[in-house]
Amino acid sequence: MHELGIAEELLRAILPQAERHGAKRITRVSLRIGVLRAVVADNLSFLFEHVARGTIAEGALLAIEEEPVVVACPACGARSGAQMVVLECPACGAEGIGLSGGDNLQIVDFDIDD
Amino acid sequence: MGNVTIPVGQAVQQSAEAEAESLKALFDGHRLLAINLVSSPGSGKTTLIEALIGALSGRKRIAVIEGDIETDIDAARIRKHGVQVRQITTRSSCHIPPFMLREALAHIDLSVVDLLFVENVGNLVCPAEIPLGEDVRVVALSVTEGDEKPLKYPLIFRTSSLLAVTKIDLLPYVRFDVGNVETAARAINPGIGIFRLSAQTGEGISAFADRLAALHDRKASL
Ligand SMILES: [Zn+2]
Repeated sequence: MHELGIAEELLRAILPQAERHGAKRITRVSLRIGVLRAVVADNLSFLFEHVARGTIAEGALLAIEEEPVVVACPACGARSGAQMVVLECPACGAEGIGLSGGDNLQIVDFDIDD
Repeated sequence: MGNVTIPVGQAVQQSAEAEAESLKALFDGHRLLAINLVSSPGSGKTTLIEALIGALSGRKRIAVIEGDIETDIDAARIRKHGVQVRQITTRSSCHIPPFMLREALAHIDLSVVDLLFVENVGNLVCPAEIPLGEDVRVVALSVTEGDEKPLKYPLIFRTSSLLAVTKIDLLPYVRFDVGNVETAARAINPGIGIFRLSAQTGEGISAFADRLAALHDRKASL
């Protein structure tokens, strides 16, 4: 369950920033998570709720945006998004495609009450 | 009093990345090549390290950090080869955290090390997320595992610079298509270097050892 470590790192990353902005509460955290990270969003939300208890992030909602893998096909020129690793172009079925992205784990922004 | 959005745009694991940077500075200061060896349990990482120690004997000075959840059996095996070795017992952690590696390194004389092998905990998920400041990440995959592993655990194949396909002497006895693995690994990571190895027959070991030695030569000459 690697989501626990991620939830702890997330809290450690945002608490000092929120305090610098004089936050009384963190109400929402927006994340961009690549599909290759194999993060189960429900697990992460549940575990974040757990680790944030007793802090100003208690009760904050996680808004998770999935970042797809980008499939570039030299055969038909299509660029498609995929939710997992694929070996064939989703548009034309050709092999020899290029894969990029899908590996980010980023904090986009967060909302505070100050 | 109001609701304000604070822009961030940073990696969640930024503190882990900062710790990795400081380990990298330590390795660079000693001009040693740090190798983070990652795999599922039972892929033959310890056996591979033993074979590489043999192949590099007299050429490169080696130290080994053995990560394991509970036991120190692997460290005892490595110690017999007369190289510096230190055990990390991670207990509940499914990967070696940077701070534990730093503690273990305090017990190694890094000034007499060319190649540092860090055998990570057997797991393809968590070690992929936690950089240790290594120069080279090697993912080992044995032919007794499924050949769909690159598709199931793409992040470790994306973040590794070398893939060691181990136990290839067993290929006649298992359903494992090395070509499928190579195709998938290269789709995920076009720059990945792939070696087919058998510690049993010695096949591929000297080529792999030569690659690591050359990477160290290059780093030491910078
Ligand atoms: Zn196509």
